[in-house]
Amino acid sequence: MPSITDPIFWTGVHPAVWQADALAGTSGRVLATGDQRLDAELPGGGWPLGALSEILQPTGVHSEWRLLLPALARSGTGAVVLVGAPQVPFGPALFAQGLTPGRLLWITAQLGAQRLWAAEQALRCADVDAVLAWLVQVRPEQLRRLQIAAAEYAKLLFVVRPEQAQHESSPAALRLWIGPVNDPPDALEVRPFKRRGPPLDQPLHLSARSAQLRRLLAASQPGFGHALDCTAAHA
Amino acid sequence: MHWIALQPTLDVEAQAPLADAFTAWAWWALQFTPLVARLETALVLEISTSERLFGGRATLLGKLLNPDFLEQNQPSALMKYAQGATSLIAFGRLLCDTELTVDVLPLRTLVAARPHLPTLARLGLRNWGQLRAMPRGGLVRRFGTGLVDAMDRAYGSSPEVYPWLSLPEVFDAPLELTSSVETAAAMLFGARRLLTQLQVWLRARQQGVLALELVWELDARRSNALHVDAHHRGGGQGRLELRTAQATQDVAHLARLLAEQLAQVSLPAPVLNLRLRSLQTLPVAGESGSLLPDDVRQGDSLHQLIERLGARLGPAQVRCVTHHADHRPERMQSWCAAAGPLQTAPSPGSKNAIKNRAINAYFTRATGQFYSQGSPDWALYPSWLLATPLRLKVVQGTPFYQGRLTLLTGPQRLEAGWLEGDTGCAMRDYYMARSASVGLVWVYRERLGHQACWYLHGLYG
Repeated sequence: MPSITDPIFWTGVHPAVWQADALAGTSGRVLATGDQRLDAELPGGGWPLGALSEILQPTGVHSEWRLLLPALARSGTGAVVLVGAPQVPFGPALFAQGLTPGRLLWITAQLGAQRLWAAEQALRCADVDAVLAWLVQVRPEQLRRLQIAAAEYAKLLFVVRPEQAQHESSPAALRLWIGPVNDPPDALEVRPFKRRGPPLDQPLHLSARSAQLRRLLAASQPGFGHALDCTAAHA
Repeated sequence: MHWIALQPTLDVEAQAPLADAFTAWAWWALQFTPLVARLETALVLEISTSERLFGGRATLLGKLLNPDFLEQNQPSALMKYAQGATSLIAFGRLLCDTELTVDVLPLRTLVAARPHLPTLARLGLRNWGQLRAMPRGGLVRRFGTGLVDAMDRAYGSSPEVYPWLSLPEVFDAPLELTSSVETAAAMLFGARRLLTQLQVWLRARQQGVLALELVWELDARRSNALHVDAHHRGGGQGRLELRTAQATQDVAHLARLLAEQLAQVSLPAPVLNLRLRSLQTLPVAGESGSLLPDDVRQGDSLHQLIERLGARLGPAQVRCVTHHADHRPERMQSWCAAAGPLQTAPSPGSKNAIKNRAINAYFTRATGQFYSQGSPDWALYPSWLLATPLRLKVVQGTPFYQGRLTLLTGPQRLEAGWLEGDTGCAMRDYYMARSASVGLVWVYRERLGHQACWYLHGLYG
């Protein structure tokens, strides 16, 4: 007879039940993040569709595109709604990384209540694939409302908040802290501090640059001559 | 031929969306057959030519008796109906409330016989069969041709010709509110009833509405002469115009837009009358359903979302991007109100190709071609652009932004806009720089002035 600690004991049980020292499988669909190391650390192996994912980052840091662009580029052909983006999204750069800027719909509402309302409306729209909402002050029950809407319509939903929100409770299924670190240089540290699985011992370091940008930076190191000449040679 | 006679009862009068319940029923019935006519207090309609289209006689009757503009679905309590081979038989049975055979229908049910009822009774003629057995010549001499012609029509030996009812070209329906309404939001209840009627009209005409206006009459006992705003011109009337980007029959969407718009209206005086008028309509094709359940995603369509967001937040708050061929980063794109269509790359052959075509109708911009190739340089641009470049502090020739910036690559020289004079002229050297706290940033040095000015223009994140 299998004992309770036996991993086989849990196979075939409902996917919502998992052993706390292993990553949960997921009952819903997921979308691969575009980075295998990050996929391996997320339950189900990617961003969850139909669940709220929360991204926290320090003030002044806006690294969400680096984290989300590969997935958004492959999310389909429907609209990607940006609710209250902090700066102007730059279309050519997004296009170069695979996201057609024509898919973007930018809602520039300033008030928190308006942003929440707009995000919820966007989740209810059939032609929307993903919703990114930048929320500063938000209560857990308001997030829960978004979470329910995302679950009902199976949409990608990312809420970007300042890192001070780390200690507040949140109904999000996945919470990540991201921020730039200088060791290794030009890396993006990703710390999933809430996920369906055990806590992560070591934070993840992703390369913060796209491949072309990395090449340019490498070429600009001393000894390579002029940077722009080198990229021209590569092209 | 198969005729149905319908008579709405008094309960319907109270529920129907128009003051005139009869019109509401006639419009509703016109969806199912073009042959609809009024006969005294009833509607008669011929369904034999269209019953197959609607799935048989029983199904058609079921649809006919359950109009969606009624709040409660108890057709038996609201409607009286009878059927027959001719309109007069159906009408006669309607008046008798029973399915009598044709010959025993009482003569009072025949409209043409009503003036002669006492005479006919003294002759011993009480039902249709007895009247029909009389010699025609004698009847014509005694009662005129009207009675004999009516008998011919009733028995189907001569065609039935009526002034057929038809739909008006323009929807224009008034509604008198049951009590005076003080707030604009409360007008929505009345407007909803008009909108349901509009939907009946649109469906019957196979049109979708692009623009409509709601007009309300203000209580004349108050002087409204001084009240002038976006909806009032100082007279006794207020007006609200509603436009939608795609011709629609979806009344729920129109009602939501109207609710958002009405929330911004302030009424100077109570309102007693409403009037809804269609300004612009377009023919719409029916939606083709999908055989596969996977293809159908639930939810509203994108243009409904854009309009709803625009109605509450203001159209300028909902933006999509347009691209321009320019070298200055701030002029390469412009974010403008998404009232018009947007553009996305179509993916032919995908499972959702049909659906995508509908979306692509939105995501269409003339400059979409500009994107088709892109440029290899674009990968080097930052993903965030600052709306206005931020002037940086310079210490000993080095720019500072949340700490000292280390220049990594550059300069990338940009000279553009010299035709536009000082405002548009850009002579800049762009550098990629690293900041310890925020990562990679995009800065430039202005080359116009005498001293070097550094600006932050983008964030790589």
